[in-house]
Amino acid sequence: MLQGTDVGGFLIIQDSATYSGRHLLNSFINAALNREESVHVLGFEISEEELKDGLKRSPIQRLHFHNAFIDPLGWTDHPIFTVHQFSLEELVRLVKQTSHPKPATLVIDSLSWILRHISPPAVCKTLQQLKKEGAVRAVIGLLHADMHQKGTVGSVCHLATSVITVAPGVKGDAAVAKITKRSKSGKVMQDEEIFSIKEDLTVIVQSKPNHTGPKQTDSEEQEIDPTANLTFNLRLSETERSAKDKLALPFVFSKEKKTALLHSGPGSGRILYEPDANDDYDQEDPDDDLDV
Amino acid sequence: MDKSYFTMFSLNPWHHYLTSLCRSETPARNSRCKVCFLGLVQSFSHYNAVGQRLGVSLVQAKEKGQLIFFEGLKESLSVLISQESNTKSQAIDFLRDPSVGLRSLYEFVRCTVSSSSGGGEKGADGAEEWGPPVLLVDDLSVLLSLGVTVGTVLDFSHYCRATVCSQLQGNMVMLTRCDGEEEADDGDDEGSERLHRGLTHQCSLTLHVQGLPTGYCRDIHGQVEVCWRRRQGDGQHTQKKLFQYKVHDKGASFFARGTSSAVL
Repeated sequence: MLQGTDVGGFLIIQDSATYSGRHLLNSFINAALNREESVHVLGFEISEEELKDGLKRSPIQRLHFHNAFIDPLGWTDHPIFTVHQFSLEELVRLVKQTSHPKPATLVIDSLSWILRHISPPAVCKTLQQLKKEGAVRAVIGLLHADMHQKGTVGSVCHLATSVITVAPGVKGDAAVAKITKRSKSGKVMQDEEIFSIKEDLTVIVQSKPNHTGPKQTDSEEQEIDPTANLTFNLRLSETERSAKDKLALPFVFSKEKKTALLHSGPGSGRILYEPDANDDYDQEDPDDDLDV
Repeated sequence: MDKSYFTMFSLNPWHHYLTSLCRSETPARNSRCKVCFLGLVQSFSHYNAVGQRLGVSLVQAKEKGQLIFFEGLKESLSVLISQESNTKSQAIDFLRDPSVGLRSLYEFVRCTVSSSSGGGEKGADGAEEWGPPVLLVDDLSVLLSLGVTVGTVLDFSHYCRATVCSQLQGNMVMLTRCDGEEEADDGDDEGSERLHRGLTHQCSLTLHVQGLPTGYCRDIHGQVEVCWRRRQGDGQHTQKKLFQYKVHDKGASFFARGTSSAVL
């Protein structure tokens, strides 16, 4: 996926307090910059120095940082970019500030900051419009999944074409990534990988974790035979099996038995019913809807 | 301190006395750093007494203008028992109306740390040049119990970080309290757990201090989990280390797990 998202792609990196997804985000930014794409970073949670510090070895000429970190709520007189400016028009204006032949990639750090101040439906609407508008080639957003309700996380991720959820790995440097990809045809693919990020921001996929083996189309589970290794016999011989199959169960009725029960033969008690004026006599058979 | 850090201490409530560690963490006293201390839960004399035991005179620092101490308890009186309004009490406006937010408190912090050049005293000749400022907050969790929402506190800490750490290359230390063993299943609780997570996302270093899981011990008072979140140059991304500590009269000693002097 680092090779490049399709046009109109929307990637969400979900992280938590235990493991920050920002490092992986930097890898994506680095990959885009190395492909000579222009990258616009809308930074709410990260300052420019911090971003550039994390991208030390990347070609940052095509990196454009929009400072929403210093005053995102407009508490000073001259805010550069506030969270309330998160709308289609403002974002397109930001991206079009720099003229570049290729459409840019927009990185949002972070979506969680925006969701704290703008309602989820409005954020989703803006993101959807952005996807369709075309000024931006792809959008990559960082989301702190543990800071929102599950519904909010679900709604925002539903818009995404890919979601990578990162979590700390078992040993040291490695981390675990759960990847969900939604293709244009509607097919959803899920995968889980262990990865680590080198100093030059390249991602190394190490292996798949042990508990999920590679998925097979004809996955057959190994069933353990419960009748083996017992001191008594639980198995059936052939005659026993056929006798078992022939057995009529007490409450499964054949058609003959049904009619015999429902229509009483001669000699058995009969019910004579003569309705009087006040009775609500329904001609329909009340047993018609019985599924017997 | 060449790189600016935002450090968060999170404590279990019954280890309150570890705030004394905050005092030993400020070599800022000796180098020319201006310190802004938001003391929301204790009086100035409490910290002064602790400081004196550690060999630091807070009174002196305050007089020199190196330490600006915001005494939350005292300021809140002017709001709760409304007397003549004090300009300083604007910072505590959120007590009157929690929905107003912590912007005034942030303004107070900003004014304090920004007036770093020229010393603290007006009209002083040969004004001292202060170094990068330090902001200490004790503690953020109390704001939640005063009616301030988690989002508002996170905005406040964001702005403080933008000004103190980013703009002025200073450092920030904030204390929060985690209440025991709260399980946050849905993640939609408005409580201290969510605040804790939000602050963890923002800060560079977290120290999680708690008692030993086995209970009280005379020689080991608790354990500290140190968690580096942001990259340190080209270092490891996230690093966690666990230490145990013992609080002495004049500080605390840290040691690796199982190497307490009582054990070895």
